[in-house]
Amino acid sequence: MMMSRLKKSILYWVLLSPLMIVILFPFGLMFVTAVRPRDELFVYPPRWTFSEFHWGNFVDMWGKTNFGGALLNSLYVSVSSTALALVLSIPAAYALSRHRFRGKGSYRNFLLMTQMMSPIVLVLGLFRLMVQFGLVNNLNSLVLTYAAFNMAFTIWMLQSYFNTIPRELEEASWMDGANHFVSLTKIFLPLAVPAMVVTGIFSFINSWNEFVLALTMIRSTENYTLPVQIFAQVAGRYQIEWHHVMAGTVLATVPVAIVFSWLQRYLIRGMALGAVK
Amino acid sequence: MASVEIRGVEKAFGAAKILHGVSIDIKDQEFVVLVGPSGCGKSTLLRMIAGLESISKGEIAIGSKVINKVPPKDRDIAMVFQNYALYPHMSVFDNIGFSLKLRKRTKGEIASRVQEAAEILNLQKYLQRSPRQLSGGQRQRVAMGRALVRDAQVFLYDEPLSNLDAKLRVTMRTEIKALHQRLKTTSVYVTHDQIEALTMADRIVVMNAGRVEQVGTPLQLYDTPANLFVADFIGSPSMNFIEGTLARSDIGVVVEAVDGTRLAAPQEFGGREGQKVVYGVRPEHFSLATGDAGSEAVVEVVEPTGANIEVFATLAAERVCAIFNQRHPFKPGDKIRLATDPDHVHLFDAATGVRL
Repeated sequence: MMMSRLKKSILYWVLLSPLMIVILFPFGLMFVTAVRPRDELFVYPPRWTFSEFHWGNFVDMWGKTNFGGALLNSLYVSVSSTALALVLSIPAAYALSRHRFRGKGSYRNFLLMTQMMSPIVLVLGLFRLMVQFGLVNNLNSLVLTYAAFNMAFTIWMLQSYFNTIPRELEEASWMDGANHFVSLTKIFLPLAVPAMVVTGIFSFINSWNEFVLALTMIRSTENYTLPVQIFAQVAGRYQIEWHHVMAGTVLATVPVAIVFSWLQRYLIRGMALGAVK
Repeated sequence: MASVEIRGVEKAFGAAKILHGVSIDIKDQEFVVLVGPSGCGKSTLLRMIAGLESISKGEIAIGSKVINKVPPKDRDIAMVFQNYALYPHMSVFDNIGFSLKLRKRTKGEIASRVQEAAEILNLQKYLQRSPRQLSGGQRQRVAMGRALVRDAQVFLYDEPLSNLDAKLRVTMRTEIKALHQRLKTTSVYVTHDQIEALTMADRIVVMNAGRVEQVGTPLQLYDTPANLFVADFIGSPSMNFIEGTLARSDIGVVVEAVDGTRLAAPQEFGGREGQKVVYGVRPEHFSLATGDAGSEAVVEVVEPTGANIEVFATLAAERVCAIFNQRHPFKPGDKIRLATDPDHVHLFDAATGVRL
């Protein structure tokens, strides 16, 4: 029994390995390039090994490329747009989940349809809009557009989860003497935390990785977000410092990946279990 | 505690009418059961008393104050939901004490009243647990505790036992009834189970398709059902019905079934000769007859229940059920004679279903 289970897992991992290689290869390359001494960058034939861990690459990169500034910009944009998207989509999803109103079906379809369009189609229009608002080269233009792009998804996700929270819980709290506000804050929202965390993660990652809009809206280097800043290290240069580029990408991806794989447990925590029946 | 008056209440969802003018007077301290098949509007009516559904037409008054426009939180009503609706993120203690906390009672008072409720319901050991760590019966008790900690004017129960297994259901039935006898809080209890209705209610309201069919004590409904629906719905196994025509014969008034079988009928009745009627008799009101008495029936199935046997037989071309508490050794195919006592026969008009 034990053996067969072990064999099964080995078989599954073997079957999964091509996929894993495709996913992990860029990360591996990124990492070994980031920690390589500069003079070992262009050895031929290329090899994975290197003479020493050159952690100084990270320090040099940080100093030379204004990485800290870009990191703060990215954090500001991602956190604000996620917060904005959640603040607006929680009431919207609640209304969709709990109330009957005219046009509800078409509204949901509209949300779904916005997901079928590539943002790049809208870039020109959005740029003109931000010119009108006077927000070009302003990080808040990204906060607004990211929040707007993410909201269709967050509303959709939150509503699906809200539908699974039994209506009777709120009704019971009204009978217990709670008004709608207390019922929302003491009963409903605590139970919706897992859904809010999950949608928040998705929204954050989308904003964190977004490139096209950031490249369009942001002009000055001090307002660059991380993807644009890393891109600027590669595009239009006489000499590309690959070890700096890769050190930047490591710092831009790995910490976020670690934090979110830890937060992911909220995905599977069935808080509403035991509420009813 | 208070009375509940329901006057001409109607409910419509768009064009679909769910309740067609329901009026019920529930007295102070009374335990009233609303019973009927699913979709009859009983739960909707209960939710209207609670304030969870709006009232399309008519009035509901609690303690002689009309509460049509009063929000649920101000109606001073406690409700036990079918799925219990316990707050999953709170301990049992907090679940029971939530209403008191909302009313800004002191910590000491909340603690002592939750303790009191827990003692009544045997929940002292579980106060610190979360609902998901409890069994179905315990969750049901917590839901009860949440209701009774409050001294509400009215208790509403929405099929509270239907998620429990059969044995626990019987136990909880008795406990709820005992609790009511002790607290005497006016209670409205919704169920589709007529046994629950018969065993628990002071008075039963039988509902069907958005209308009240009959209101009365359990035995009134059992002994003198107002129409075919109530006769069929109340009692298990249910009443036997045989269609026929009222006729006068040498042995007095009889009902002549379609196959010519003559069944003894009450000598005084509200119908006329030649009227099409439905002849109703409860399973326990059949007796075995010998010689020419009674009518011939062919045994089809015999089901012993321990205390008695249920015999299913064909009588006057209808399948009927008879219950005997002697253990007769009947076998399928046996011919027996079944007699009825005219005093325990129910006659209904075949066209309207109304009792004659």
